[in-house]
Amino acid sequence: MHELSIALEICRVVEERIPAAQLHQLAEVGLDIGERATMEVANLQFCLDTLLAHSPFAGADVVIARTGGEDTRVSYLEIDDER
Amino acid sequence: MSVKRIEVRERVMARNDAIAEGVRQQLDHAGVAALNLVSSPGAGKTQLLERTLDDIGNELRLAIVTGDVQTENDANRLALHTSRLVQAVVTNGGCHLDALQVTTALAAITLADTDLVILENVGNLVCPANWDLGERHRVTLCAVTEGEDKPLKYPKAFANADLVLITKVDLLPYLKFDVALLEANIRLANATATILLTSSQSGAGLLEWYAYLLKATKSARARARTVELAAV
Repeated sequence: MHELSIALEICRVVEERIPAAQLHQLAEVGLDIGERATMEVANLQFCLDTLLAHSPFAGADVVIARTGGEDTRVSYLEIDDER
Repeated sequence: MSVKRIEVRERVMARNDAIAEGVRQQLDHAGVAALNLVSSPGAGKTQLLERTLDDIGNELRLAIVTGDVQTENDANRLALHTSRLVQAVVTNGGCHLDALQVTTALAAITLADTDLVILENVGNLVCPANWDLGERHRVTLCAVTEGEDKPLKYPKAFANADLVLITKVDLLPYLKFDVALLEANIRLANATATILLTSSQSGAGLLEWYAYLLKATKSARARARTVELAAV
């Protein structure tokens, strides 16, 4: 249920790390999601896909790795400067 | 094609947690205790607060913030039991309160004139468990009209609690409910939380609840003195 809040927070992290003029070049978002993070991964994926499909983004792949613990982390971002 | 990779490794909750820490420091400095009430919908959070305001509202200066997906009904109910400000946070679909909402709510509260802030979270045993609001005390409610296995189904809501209130115990004569089994399941999630059996109807267990609130306010005042001394 809280996956939309988490997805919005992930987009905020992205916007902090990538200059506004390059956000459309975001190609991939890597996430680490803990086994005890109380996260519905498919729901989070859906929310992120929806948010990243719209401006200032231009669609990006979301790659999720399951980890131990209860944290959800933005692991890495990839920018494709030919987009 | 030129792909550049940026390593981030940032916890998604980091921003909320930083704001929550700011709330905690603000409350510590002011000597105000804060409780975060978490439960499923209908476990009796609002009724407990109505009774609390009626019974000790003159002794403790309570500030209450209610969180609901829609309506200000809970705040309106509580406002009938106090002349002090009761604030409603309508989340418009959000399934939990967050630290930023609490920061906004605190701005409307005169902390110098407050002993205790109670944050009545959105009724939900999943999402509120993940959001630190800056409280010092987390209280999880579970009614005897729910299943004994709630702590097994929603362990995080119980694992993070300092106090668990088993509510509506006045209904036990009419229910097939095993209180000892619920307590055992709570212990599987949380070995140390205080457990109280309460009823806002009959008043069972409420003296212990009020004692907990008074102790929390005393601890908050002691923290403020420590903060004050450290600043000298």
